[in-house]
Amino acid sequence: MKRPIEIAAAGTMLTALVAGLAVPPDAVQGDVQRIMYVHVPSAWLAYLAFGVTLIASVAHLRTRDLRWDRRAGASAEIGVVFTGLALATGMLWGKPVWGVWWTWDARLVLTAAMFFVYLAYLALRRATDDPVIRGKRSAVFGIVAALQIPVVHFSVVWWRSLHQPPTILRPGEPQIDPPLLFALLMAVTAFTVLYAALLRRRVELAEAEDALLTTARIEEPVAGSAVVGPLSRGEGA
Amino acid sequence: MTVWRQAAFLLGFQLRDELRTGEVIAVVIPFGSIALLVIPMAVGIETTLLASIGPGMYWAVVLLFGVVVTQRRTATSNPSHRDALVLLGVDPAARFAATAAASALLLLLFEIGVGLVMIVLYDPVVAGWGWLALVLPLVAAGLAMLGTIAGSVTDGGGALAPLLVAPLAIPILLGAAQATEGLRLGTGILRWILVLALVDVVLALAGVLTARVLEESSR
Repeated sequence: MKRPIEIAAAGTMLTALVAGLAVPPDAVQGDVQRIMYVHVPSAWLAYLAFGVTLIASVAHLRTRDLRWDRRAGASAEIGVVFTGLALATGMLWGKPVWGVWWTWDARLVLTAAMFFVYLAYLALRRATDDPVIRGKRSAVFGIVAALQIPVVHFSVVWWRSLHQPPTILRPGEPQIDPPLLFALLMAVTAFTVLYAALLRRRVELAEAEDALLTTARIEEPVAGSAVVGPLSRGEGA
Repeated sequence: MTVWRQAAFLLGFQLRDELRTGEVIAVVIPFGSIALLVIPMAVGIETTLLASIGPGMYWAVVLLFGVVVTQRRTATSNPSHRDALVLLGVDPAARFAATAAASALLLLLFEIGVGLVMIVLYDPVVAGWGWLALVLPLVAAGLAMLGTIAGSVTDGGGALAPLLVAPLAIPILLGAAQATEGLRLGTGILRWILVLALVDVVLALAGVLTARVLEESSR
């Protein structure tokens, strides 16, 4: 069944697509610049998703409520997908504009590192079956992993970088024409709503996975096959 | 017994254990030295090139082999020993502090040993010895705490621990490499020292504050 958030995600994605195709091309880069309507929201979503993982990890350690752990894991999973998308679209844009798919730029390298940090986080979650133990361990790692987020964001300020510094979130006026800014903000909004819809679905799936695991545990014989229930005469023969 | 005394006692125990097994001195330092010997065979043996890339290669070796140092078997990593410490009422924060401090001291030893090998093989311009006396312990402490946390969340290391440590250690690697480059060029390195110190403080807080949770989650 489709929920209002999913319908809203589809609607805003469609609007963002139309806006991204309808606005005039960039004066210097031409149509290649339209990749930014996917690249920038993907990068924003990565920060948002990993930020939610941090908050949910702290909340889980404080409350020991497994719902927070599921939110942390679900958000990290979505964040990894969108970090991968930001890296891929960045490379697609980099080839025609910079002339290379990949360059040893601080922002690029650190974003790739952040991608691997959260892949490791997901690997850690998969390595532990018990939801309670998994929750505690991954919450600690989720907090330590967040160390990477400010380093990635400020890398364009700390190092002389090929990647451009912030265009919108900067002191003073945004360095972008109003129609292009509108399309970009539409895309950011659409991706954010999509994130909310995906997060909700993934959390439900995680709840179902944990419930299935718990049911399987309950059905396991407590003391193996050594202990059996009382048998009626002739049943054990 | 205070937490500090517990940590000091466990630290001594772990260092005596290392003295007996000699894992870092007899195995990891020679292994790291071999890595430094192999790199020129891959990138070329031009001396000016090697002199310029030497410090960078050194830090990469410290990061990657540092994981081996932090994931070594310690006197308190055995589940039965760990359970005994819990029953004795040893504070989990003391156990974290002792393990991280022992790893930091051994990493410092590793850094010095492999650093001497790097100087001999690559002949780089080494400047600012006084600053290095600050950079080396800061890097060792950061890697040690990160490795200790990774070892705890993976319940004793395994194949997963290096995957957790390596990408997260990038701020430490960057701080160390930029500081040595700054020393070579004669530019200011204070901000890189501050980056390293900040990472260390964050990791120390994370390690101490989550030690009890991680002890509860160990099997």
